[in-house]
Amino acid sequence: MKKLKRFSGLVGVVMMSIMMITACSNSKSADVDDKANKEEVANSANEKEEPVTIKFTYWGSPVEKKAVEDNLKKFEETYSHIVVDAEYIPNEDYLTKISAMVAGGDAPDVAYLFEANALAWAGDGELMNINDFLEKDPDLKREDFLDNIWYDWAPGKSLGTNTAVEAMGLYYNRQLFVEAGVSVPATAEDAWEWDEFIEVAQQMTIDANGNNALSSEFDATNISRYGVQFGTWWAPYMAMVFSNGGDYINEDGTEFTLDEPEAVEAIQRLADLINVYHVAPSPAQVVSMPSPVVGLQSEQVAMMIDGQWNLLDLGASGLDFGIGVLPKMKESVTLILGSPTVIFKSTEHPDESWLLFKWLANPESGLELHKGGLWMPLLKEWYEDPSLVAKWAENNPAHPKEYKSAMMDQTLNNGRPAPIYYTNGFVEMDEIVGAALDEVWLGKRTAEEVLTEISDLVEGKLKGRY
Amino acid sequence: MLVSKKNTRTVVGKVITYLLLITICFLFVLPFLWMIRSSVIPLHEILKMPIVWIPENIVLSNFTQALTVLPFGRFFMNTTIILVLSVMGILFSGTLAAYSFSRLDWPGRDIVFYILMTTLMLPSFATLIPTFLGWRSVGALNSYLPLIIPNWFCGGATGSFSSVFYIFLLRQFFMGIPKDLDEAAKVDGASHLRVYFQIILPLAKPAIMVVVLFASFSIWNDFLSPSIYLNEVEKYTLNLGLRLFSGMYNAQWNLMMAAATVVTIPPIILFAFGQKYFIEGITFSGIKG
Amino acid sequence: MKNIIVKKSYKDLRSGLLFALPAILGFFIFSLGPMIMSLVLSFTDYRIVNEPVFIGFENYINLFTTEGTLFYKAIFVTFYYVILSVPLGVMFHFFSAILMNRKIKGKALFRAIYYIPSVIPVAASCMIWLWIFNPERGLLNYLLEMLHLPTSQWIGSEQAVVPSIVMIAIWMAGNTMVVYLAGLQDIPKSLYESIEVDGGNALNKLIHITIPMSTHLIFFNTIMGIIGGFQVFVQPMIMTDGGPGTSSLFYSLYVFREGFEHSRMGSASAMSWMLFLIILVLAGLFVKLSRKWVYYASE
Repeated sequence: MKKLKRFSGLVGVVMMSIMMITACSNSKSADVDDKANKEEVANSANEKEEPVTIKFTYWGSPVEKKAVEDNLKKFEETYSHIVVDAEYIPNEDYLTKISAMVAGGDAPDVAYLFEANALAWAGDGELMNINDFLEKDPDLKREDFLDNIWYDWAPGKSLGTNTAVEAMGLYYNRQLFVEAGVSVPATAEDAWEWDEFIEVAQQMTIDANGNNALSSEFDATNISRYGVQFGTWWAPYMAMVFSNGGDYINEDGTEFTLDEPEAVEAIQRLADLINVYHVAPSPAQVVSMPSPVVGLQSEQVAMMIDGQWNLLDLGASGLDFGIGVLPKMKESVTLILGSPTVIFKSTEHPDESWLLFKWLANPESGLELHKGGLWMPLLKEWYEDPSLVAKWAENNPAHPKEYKSAMMDQTLNNGRPAPIYYTNGFVEMDEIVGAALDEVWLGKRTAEEVLTEISDLVEGKLKGRY
Repeated sequence: MLVSKKNTRTVVGKVITYLLLITICFLFVLPFLWMIRSSVIPLHEILKMPIVWIPENIVLSNFTQALTVLPFGRFFMNTTIILVLSVMGILFSGTLAAYSFSRLDWPGRDIVFYILMTTLMLPSFATLIPTFLGWRSVGALNSYLPLIIPNWFCGGATGSFSSVFYIFLLRQFFMGIPKDLDEAAKVDGASHLRVYFQIILPLAKPAIMVVVLFASFSIWNDFLSPSIYLNEVEKYTLNLGLRLFSGMYNAQWNLMMAAATVVTIPPIILFAFGQKYFIEGITFSGIKG
Repeated sequence: MKNIIVKKSYKDLRSGLLFALPAILGFFIFSLGPMIMSLVLSFTDYRIVNEPVFIGFENYINLFTTEGTLFYKAIFVTFYYVILSVPLGVMFHFFSAILMNRKIKGKALFRAIYYIPSVIPVAASCMIWLWIFNPERGLLNYLLEMLHLPTSQWIGSEQAVVPSIVMIAIWMAGNTMVVYLAGLQDIPKSLYESIEVDGGNALNKLIHITIPMSTHLIFFNTIMGIIGGFQVFVQPMIMTDGGPGTSSLFYSLYVFREGFEHSRMGSASAMSWMLFLIILVLAGLFVKLSRKWVYYASE
């Protein structure tokens, strides 16, 4: 009997707690429902008088989260009739979460979205065509933006641009280079030729006994510092492929062209850095290094080829770092990438959504993130007008003095858009290519062998050019 | 002769046991030690070789940073609420069902059991979106309901296992308890409920402990369901909160380790105390002889 | 005679159903509905942003016949993992439980240490193991070098990646040990005493008492190991992303990519149901086989 009493007591407590929780969450959803109802009525009556709520989802590190929140607050202050229901979703779960939302018919109004899904969903009619908004907008025009950052899923139909511009660059531990007496080129004209680059990397690669990779006593099994580190995903190697005159697919989107000589050569050269010259760590080692920034800081790596976004960490780390242009094979280029912000077609408030979209696109409102080094501006004038450039690219720890020429100008003048912008079917193709290239990075097979072998298979997944 | 032989054997046996245990536990605990060590040093010292096990400058700022950047106290509370309520639900519905499937004999019993078991074999992905849509239609999104309620019917998915798992586990345990006790009680006129409460449950304390541990472990580590059903950061569970740290462009290992350390300590303490109480000292007073 | 038997069976029917009611209800409400829906979806082309379009068995056929399909690879990788992890896990944890059950000092400490890995949040564990597996600076190779044993590339090697993940799984499965431990408590001490009286040693006790009396739990853990092993997802997703190449493309990762990264939920549902069939068959076989060697004290 005692047990029974205790048991029912427990059950009682539990039921109560459940009811409490239900009550709490119910009242919250009741509120939202109320608001939605009010808006419906209001909207039909008077456009800009009653508060309109738009839903915005985004991801990012804690620093980014805070900056975005501040940015949204300023937006709400400027447009007092709009309330932004901002939902932060961690990057790893973003895809599942937003898929579930869309499946349930609860798609947000404005959202960050991964490139591939954005293009796919746009093709299925789920996203707005930004060009329509731009045509009607008095302040902002398509020409104001950089050229190479548009995600067009069909001629004349664009789902938008990057949330912010990102590009690939070369970062280095300045102290190490000063000690070695080597200067790193910061303009396209001075960019290292590939052989020069290999030599510098060898010079900067040190084994446990202090010999660098150029010396005859170099012990490649016991390296304490690598000359350069680069990721083996598509961005670093595509940058080099472009530099060597190659491309991912051909002009009319009918062929996969990574198996052409220029592309093969570029990829092979990169792989040789790991396996022949031993100046770069293998993917197995890279995957367990916490972050590239840490590698530079702890002097495990002298140079790093990676995205612009690392400036956020580099700037905050206190490390004395420099930026250079990527080494070149035939031309000096950089790769532009960055996932887009989109507006869902299902939005009930297109005009307000556009206002938010515009706001987010304006570097002025997101200035903190630009200054902090995470983002590059979407609008051309911020690269060309000195007074605007000074606002974000000068006098702060994330932007060393070479930044303007090595990164900013390089992006503006020599930036090539990543294949994901224009290749329909990229995600599936990259899955095969990425997996196949693993053997190249491991040094087991040559790039030529692998790419020729998978060429037909990959081409079968190519659906065309956007 | 017999006595001394036995003593040597016992001593040798004990020594071997100790050696094995120490080796195994040493290997098991090393990663944990590394985690703690990494939580008190700055980021760039984490990968320095050779490994420094006792760092020179201990930095506690990792903890303050980690715990303030995100509301871990809140996450802990949230997870605890979900955990306690879910585990209670599992124990409730699970033990009842397991009793039915192991101690009661009724037509169709085994068929029903096997049908229930099949829910374990479908990967949770397949039912993720349909389940989500279902909860959405009753307006239970952004709440803990989808995470707790199903467990009261042993129908939820905790982590990657359907909660039916616990029915299976308990049934196995129950089947390991000889039937003599039940029969004796029934002869005395006890109803099934009484047998359930007064005989089976106490004897199954180890099993119940195991279910509590397993379920806690599962819910603790689950992030898929919470990520889909919770929209506000304040409602997040611990694992979900930890994943916030690995944002798109950063991976701050020292902070992660600090947060993980803090998060791991309470369960360890709980287990250290709980295991002695539940696992040991359950004697079959009714079964001897 | 007949009447009494019939009555008993029906009497228990009422109680039986009553006791199992929450679970049965749960099944109908929370499992059956979604399962049926996902089965239906598996016969459609559903890409989340569109309305599902019925396409019959096309999803299933594509699994087998699409050029370059990764279906076979995923099945192979997952099978490999299960074949490695289940026997190893069962044996390792069972013997650990036996060790932890003996009369030694510091039992609680050993048990707690053994259990700790299973409460470390998965996200953190993955990071820790990434470091452990680092070929140059990681703990494992460091230790192996000190002992002059050969090292490995671990998750960076196509051959070693699955065994590496098995290692992590065994490390994290402290609660399996607890299951055995709990079961060991239920073995009546009288049985051991009677063997001692007969002059038996520790080995005899093990073979004739401990193992047979634990078979119902060995059975349980094996089945769950198989079922769970086929659904392993987090570690490959966080640590290897299916690589190197496709050597760690676990089936659930394969399904996840198909459904969420490629937005092809219909196809992903079909894949899930394929796995379901496979697990069902295997588990069914195992259950049938188990009748021969599993002993239930209550029978």
